Amino acid sequence: MTDTATSGGAATGRPDASGRVTGLILVALPVAMVMTMIVWPIGLAILDTLWLPGPDGTGARFSVASYRFFFSDGYSLGNLWITIWTTAVSTAILMAIAIPLSIYLRFRTGRAAAVVQALAIFPLFVPSIILAYAFVRVLGPNGMVDIILANIGLPRIRSPYLTVWGPVIGFVWDNLPLTVVILLAGLSGVSTQAVEAARDVGAGRIATFRHIILPRIGPSILVAASFVVLGLFSAFTFPYLLGPAAPEMMGPFMQRTFGDVLDPVQARTQAVVTFLFCAAFGWFYVRSIAANRRRMAR
Amino acid sequence: MSTADLRLAWRDVDWTGIVLAAVMAVVIIGPLVVVGLWAFAEVWRFPSLLPQEWGLRYWGMTLGRADVWAALSVSLQLSFVVTLLSALICLPAAYAFARLDFPGRDVLFLSFLTIQAFPRFGLLISIATIFLTLGLVGTFWGVVLIQLVNTLMFMIWIPTAAFQNVDRRLEEAARDVGAGPIRVFWSVTLPQAFPAIAAAILLTFVGTFYETEGAWLIGAPHVRTMPILMISFINNQLVVQLGAVLSLMLWVPSFLFLLMARRWMGPEALGRGLGG
Repeated sequence: MTDTATSGGAATGRPDASGRVTGLILVALPVAMVMTMIVWPIGLAILDTLWLPGPDGTGARFSVASYRFFFSDGYSLGNLWITIWTTAVSTAILMAIAIPLSIYLRFRTGRAAAVVQALAIFPLFVPSIILAYAFVRVLGPNGMVDIILANIGLPRIRSPYLTVWGPVIGFVWDNLPLTVVILLAGLSGVSTQAVEAARDVGAGRIATFRHIILPRIGPSILVAASFVVLGLFSAFTFPYLLGPAAPEMMGPFMQRTFGDVLDPVQARTQAVVTFLFCAAFGWFYVRSIAANRRRMAR
Repeated sequence: MSTADLRLAWRDVDWTGIVLAAVMAVVIIGPLVVVGLWAFAEVWRFPSLLPQEWGLRYWGMTLGRADVWAALSVSLQLSFVVTLLSALICLPAAYAFARLDFPGRDVLFLSFLTIQAFPRFGLLISIATIFLTLGLVGTFWGVVLIQLVNTLMFMIWIPTAAFQNVDRRLEEAARDVGAGPIRVFWSVTLPQAFPAIAAAILLTFVGTFYETEGAWLIGAPHVRTMPILMISFINNQLVVQLGAVLSLMLWVPSFLFLLMARRWMGPEALGRGLGG
């Protein structure tokens, strides 16, 4: 793409040497920020957790000791496992809700569909901290659900507040809008005629979904899932406020290791472990956005 | 109408949509209504369905707290400073990405994606350990820096698209009648790109106002923003109503954003921007 850009400049007959320098100067500051605040800290985190001072406190050398500690420590592994579990379960529930919902929104118009769309987008405009508070008031002990159950003579619920289900419910609520929006963008490529043609030759709902819709929105589902996984894997607010104290998800775990245990080396080791587990999703997400931009630039 | 017509009309009603809308209204709007009720409840004892006594007593109590005003002031200062710096750094860069031709343009443009490609809190921890050695932890400017990084991508990508969409023929026409480059930029380019730039600035401001994790990790315990105050209200289980009142106050910027976003961006544009 770089070469099309330069040849475009040449085609208009402008050598644009001044533009080249001015351009680099104008973008220097934000690019420098990405380098110093993203690339450098990540690189340093990886290096510093692998080059540790020797037992006498001097002479840094290559060592996997901090990783060996993480992967042999039962508490750390428990936290990693609960993070993987929560991320997987939340993403699965989210997709199970968002895929049918966006298919409905793609092929239906009218008053009810407009209301459903507005409701699906609405959580985007509710800060997660307010949602966390609302969660406690609704699903917490003596919350609204308990009040309603008591009024119709049913026993209280086993509240999901401060259990592993707390963050899951929060994540699903909070991530619904962006997931639906990404899936809808993918579904705009499915033509109504193709679906109608399939129905005309007698394909059922499930067959239509598998053979007509799924092949077209498969990539969008993966993008949405990557986006969600990247957001959830090291999430802090919901697990900290709504989840159990132990085992805890990686977000609160890292925060505690950094802020309370005051062990920056372990905190960074934990951070690098989250990078490793998310690397494939991050790579996929960046690649598809880059491909998308290239397509639009053409 | 014959029975057949009636049956057809009955089938045409979007029952799926009505059921969906009803369920989603309960699940999505319901919790916020409960918060709204609590904010105006003076007495609400279990298991009454509605508060026994209504009133504004807890509004006075919340607004009378010094920590609320201090947090509001810190949050507004942070949001203004971060948005201003972000605009100063990013808008010229966005213009360059859209209009100028320089080596490595596309790679540099995509480099802002790295912010989104890593699990956020892990990234914050990596930055925080460096800030620790620089003495930036617990300082206002440490929080400004970490929140500024968050804003880079949208503040560059949205305005870049806006500058690319400006009608070049209008600029050429202005130049043909003798306008200088600065005049053309000020009177032709900027007004056309302005709505998208304003949207990016608004997005940055609101996003920074609600940013919690960076402020918590870098700012604690000295820099307390509104979301961080809210965390302590939830955790310490003070009077229930205080949290409810603060929630409503905290929602105001998001609500204004909602009203404006309805005009500026459709879900399609948003989805494409996120890579759908």
